Amino acid sequence: MLLALIVLYVVSLLYLSIIERFRHYVMIIALQGWMLLGVALLRLHASQWYELAFVVLETLVFKALVLPAILYRVIRRTGINRVHTASVAVFNQLMMSMGLLLGSVVVTYYMVSDSPFDMVFFGVALYAVLCGMLLIITHKRIFSHLVGFLVIENGVFLFAMAIGVEMPYLINIAILLDILMSVLMLGMVIARIGTRYRHMNVDNLDSLKD
Amino acid sequence: MMTAYLLFAVLIAGLMALARSHAQVRALGYAFYAVQLIFAASVWLWARDTEQLQFFTFDTLGSLFLGLLSVISLVAFCQSNVYLKDETLHPFKTYHISLALLCTSATAVYFSNNLAVTWVFLEATTLATAGLIYHGRSESSLEATWKYVFICSTGILLAYLGVLLLSTVATQGDLSYASLAGVIATGNPLYLKIAFLFILVGYSCKLEVFPLYTVGIDANYAAPTPASAVISTVLVNAGFVSLMRVYRLFALTPVYSWVSGVLVLCGVISVLVGAVYLRRTNHYKRFFAYSTTENLGIVLIGLGLGGVAVFAAIFHVMAHSLVKSGIFFNVAQIGKIYGSYRINRIGNYVSVNRLGSVSMLLGTVSLLALPPSALFISELMIFKQVIVSGQWWLFGVMVVLLCFVMYSLSYRLLRLLYKPVHMSADGYSVNRWVTWSGFVLILSAVVLGVTQPDWLVEFIESMLAG
Repeated sequence: MLLALIVLYVVSLLYLSIIERFRHYVMIIALQGWMLLGVALLRLHASQWYELAFVVLETLVFKALVLPAILYRVIRRTGINRVHTASVAVFNQLMMSMGLLLGSVVVTYYMVSDSPFDMVFFGVALYAVLCGMLLIITHKRIFSHLVGFLVIENGVFLFAMAIGVEMPYLINIAILLDILMSVLMLGMVIARIGTRYRHMNVDNLDSLKD
Repeated sequence: MMTAYLLFAVLIAGLMALARSHAQVRALGYAFYAVQLIFAASVWLWARDTEQLQFFTFDTLGSLFLGLLSVISLVAFCQSNVYLKDETLHPFKTYHISLALLCTSATAVYFSNNLAVTWVFLEATTLATAGLIYHGRSESSLEATWKYVFICSTGILLAYLGVLLLSTVATQGDLSYASLAGVIATGNPLYLKIAFLFILVGYSCKLEVFPLYTVGIDANYAAPTPASAVISTVLVNAGFVSLMRVYRLFALTPVYSWVSGVLVLCGVISVLVGAVYLRRTNHYKRFFAYSTTENLGIVLIGLGLGGVAVFAAIFHVMAHSLVKSGIFFNVAQIGKIYGSYRINRIGNYVSVNRLGSVSMLLGTVSLLALPPSALFISELMIFKQVIVSGQWWLFGVMVVLLCFVMYSLSYRLLRLLYKPVHMSADGYSVNRWVTWSGFVLILSAVVLGVTQPDWLVEFIESMLAG
């Protein structure tokens, strides 16, 4: 079951590179939230109720429900629809994404094979972080960059699972709130940018230079 | 005591949001900075080296920078009231709330004794700073806000990866610096190196050094100028304190020499960026922001060299805070007088504001690290360490780059003071108090250059020993 979820997660990351509509991005982000919930519950051996409650709060409430809701609101408010101003062709993006997947497997094999880290989780986490960066680099629209940020953030969540460390709860909650606040602020900024620049391309944001 | 401070700070910020007039916001602002000063005095006099709320310790490093924060933020608040006197209520409120929250979160960063708590409050500074950057509500401030929030959030997320990697050596998830110091030497060298790289990249957006220095430059440009003084000193110091604590951990590991090399490399690239863009930019706020990048680059080189250069690095950051805040307070006045910050449109300042001109002259001489500037002392010590360590290539590179910096600073200063311009500066009368406040801050850095009090030297030495 766990392996199936991880494979599905990798497929969702691959699919990100060929998406052409912003609504599909939000769907994938919500889906990843559900998958992370499943992965976390299956991985969490501790049976304390508050640990389970926190995982549900973080993955289901925030990642699968609240963040997609904010993103949908931004889409409605700005009226953006298609991801048609990618600076790299879709086929090339897919090839790059697959290349990153291969690179992640190789790096994980050589870096983690003799360590206590979980190789599968580590590899997928690395791939997620790289995918988020790829999304930011290859897309011109600002909304795609926000999605890239969330993909990286999900990768960091998986990374924490790969390492298997226990962080204090106060800090976990603070981190979660930080991310929520960041997304809220970015959403607000995007909404304002959307009212000023019709296409919301990063090309519009070039007035600050020397 | 920390609980009381945080409660008061959040309470006052909350009350500011409910304020119905400028006078109420100002009164609450005075209350906040009174609390800040009382807190700083209490820490210095009674509570040094005590642990608070499990995650904070009032150590010497944090206490020193809290003192600077309290002075600079109070002057910035008073200046902001003059600078924003024609502002409508809503942006006026948002500005002062953001400034107060930035000071609160920076204070928490200074005293945090836990790697993860430092991370959380550094991210909090991002949100508070965003409120200051967006104050103008113009296209450029919107662009700067987007870039700041996005790049800082991504950078801090990378720093979190570094924190996670470091947590692999922690005992039972304890990420306090004291606990990590006991076990970090047992960590896998490869993971330690990657952790340091991630943390350095994340913190660089606060430190305004390579690689994520650009967001700091844009933040300084877009924020109201008194807030730029806070961003380029208080916030930069928060980044420095955070890096300093991680640096002290890595000094205990087998990868310390590699870490030193990375710091020197980042420092040299930052000085290079500063040297190039000080010549290119045509905006005074960006100009002095690049000067921050250059100075913090020198600080990174000092940390990388080790030995006496670490002492010099701390002294450099402290002196830089006094000089740079004083300069930005003067630049605020210049912007109001000329209605612009464009370098090619401003000049003949000496005939408009003589004391302000002396202040800018003294500030620029201080940034040039010429005697009697305090920065002269610190840079001399860093150069001494470069020679002692036999890194002649570094000596050569630094001399060449600093020559470019000196040329750019001198050229722009002479232009500001003496270049004849056709713009009228009659619409705004010079505010003596504003000029004096900047002048006194710069003068205090000069006094530190002439004489370093024994208590200060012992104070910094105790930081290195602790």
